Formats: sequence, C-alpha cells, structure tokens
Amino acid sequence: MKQISLVALIFIILLGGLFVYVAEDIPDFGDPNSAPNRYTPLFTLDAAGSVGALDQGVVPEALRTALEDRGFRDYELPTSVKKVTDGEWDGYLVPDEQYYKTAIAKFGTAPDAPKEQKYYFIKQEGDTLDVYRYAPIIRYVEEGEHETEVPNMVTYILADYRGYDTLGETTVIFTAGISVILLLRRRGKKPQ
Amino acid sequence: MTEKDWAHERDVIVETISRLMIPFIQLFALYVIIHGAGGPGGGFQGGVIIASSFVLYLVAFGLAAAGKRFPERANNYLMSTGVYIYAGVGLLCLIASLGAAQYLNYGFIPLTHMFEENRALGMDLVEIGIGITVGAVITEIFFNLVWKQDMDETEKEGQE
Repeated sequence: MKQISLVALIFIILLGGLFVYVAEDIPDFGDPNSAPNRYTPLFTLDAAGSVGALDQGVVPEALRTALEDRGFRDYELPTSVKKVTDGEWDGYLVPDEQYYKTAIAKFGTAPDAPKEQKYYFIKQEGDTLDVYRYAPIIRYVEEGEHETEVPNMVTYILADYRGYDTLGETTVIFTAGISVILLLRRRGKKPQ
Repeated sequence: MTEKDWAHERDVIVETISRLMIPFIQLFALYVIIHGAGGPGGGFQGGVIIASSFVLYLVAFGLAAAGKRFPERANNYLMSTGVYIYAGVGLLCLIASLGAAQYLNYGFIPLTHMFEENRALGMDLVEIGIGITVGAVITEIFFNLVWKQDMDETEKEGQE
C-alpha cells in the first residue's frame, strides 16, 4: 500500500511538470491577435532584397521559390501583397478561382466576382522575414457577414461554413432518438 | 391507459395555465427558429423550446391525452424528416447547379438572383430541418421515459 502511494506521488509530480512544460505554449486566452490564434508560423526567409519589392506590392521571387520548395501548389502562391504597417505585409490570393471559373462557364453569370483573400502574413524581424499563414477563422470573422448576408456570426459559421459539422450533429441527435425508441419501446405492450 | 394515471391528478389551475401558455411557447419556438439568422437563436434552441411545450402538456394532462395530441406514429416520421430536409438542401445545391457546386453550398440554390441572399435563405431552410428533428427527438425521449415509468409501476401493482 505504501509503495503504491509513493509511485502515485511520483507520477503526480511528473505529470505536473509535463503540464507546466506544455502550458507554456498555450496561447493567451481571449487575445485574438496572439500569434497562434491569428496565424501559424511557416518559415523564415532572408530579408535582403525582398523588403523593397514587398513595399511596392510585388511578390518577391525569394518568397515564391521558398513556398514552391516546400511543396505549395500553384494556386497557393500569393498573387499580390499589401502593406499593413512598417515591416508587416499581407499576402493575398484567390483560393477558389478555379471553382468560380467552372461556375461561370456553366451559368454565364458569376455568383460574385472571385475575391482576393488574406492568406499569408509576412513580418520583418531584423534581417529575416517571418512568413505566417492566416487561420481560416480570420476569414469567417472578417468576410462572413459580407459573404452570407447574415449578421449573426454564430449562425453563419454553424450552418454555412461548418455545414457538414452541423449535419453530423443533427444525425447524432437523431441517433439518440432512435436508440431511445429501440431501448424503451416494447411492441404490443403499448398503452392506448 | 385507464384513469389511474401515474401520480396524475387533474388540477384546474395547472391545466388552465398550461392551456394558456402552450400556444405562446410554440409561437416563441417558431420565432427562435426563424430568427436564428438575425439574432440569438437557431434550430437547436427552437427545437428544444417546441419540445418543452409538449412536455408541459404531458405534465398537465397526462400521457394518454398527450399521446393523442402528439402521436408517436407522427413523431417517428418527424424525427427523420428534419435530417432529410437538411441532407436534401445539400443535394439540391448539387442538382440546381448541375454539379458545379459543392454539397451544402447554399448559394447555388436559385431562390433569388443574389448569391449571398441564397446562402442566407439556405441557412434558414437548414435551421428548420434541425428544429423539426430536435423537437421530435426531445419529445420522443420524454414520452418514452414517462411511458416506461408508467409500465414499471403497473407491473409492480400487478405483482402485489
């Protein structure tokens, strides 16, 4: 009995140490601008020669090759860059361009013009450029009301962007109802 | 089901008040379901509210009367109807766009000429489906639990 409690104590200390180690990386709750909540770091680049191009709104060749080297496809490369503040830029691209083109070819009319979206975020740190990628939630928050004409953020994320998820939730509830019928209802012995 | 309902005594106050309240509760449930796009609300919440009106009816009038108002045969169909509406709206996007759109991409349902308006209306249809399923399932669970308790008590009385 004594030995077991000693082992348990050691385990509690070990797990506590592990938790402290992991908890360092948890982002600040409620801070929408902290790095892990807003964007994911991808890689760093050498800043030499790229900053001028970025300031002019041109995608530098170094960034393009670096993305291609890491396996990004053609449609994932940024098409334009816009300056946010000094040393910070947004990389834009049209993620659904091909899909919109097929839709236009079939209907003749565009649902809406293909829209450029924020995709990459580039930040200058001394001699290097840090390249980040925006989290999808940033698009939902910033563009959702314009894209869906619904003012309620909870509803348009739940029913539109995460439509598959909600379909699954409805199926789960339906399954609960079926299970209750199968477990509790007895055929033939029903009242009335 | 005879008149010796489980612990159910007819009470004038409870019956009158619930008869007054139930239409308003159901109206409020419809409001919550339809209002999901514009403010707080949605299919899940509205479905639970509409189920609560049937629960109130059962508490006030007993299982036999509630079973007449909300028969389980209809309930079986309603439960799956909601899921069918949801999945059907998703399929309608594929059919209406002749395969150009993805499943559940509401913008391609030709309800209005605006892509964004179509998305809003498609969301409303989906919320109605969710509301029907959730309301029917919650009612079904409550009715079945009450009926099970009822059966257990009658069996116990028969043994004694």
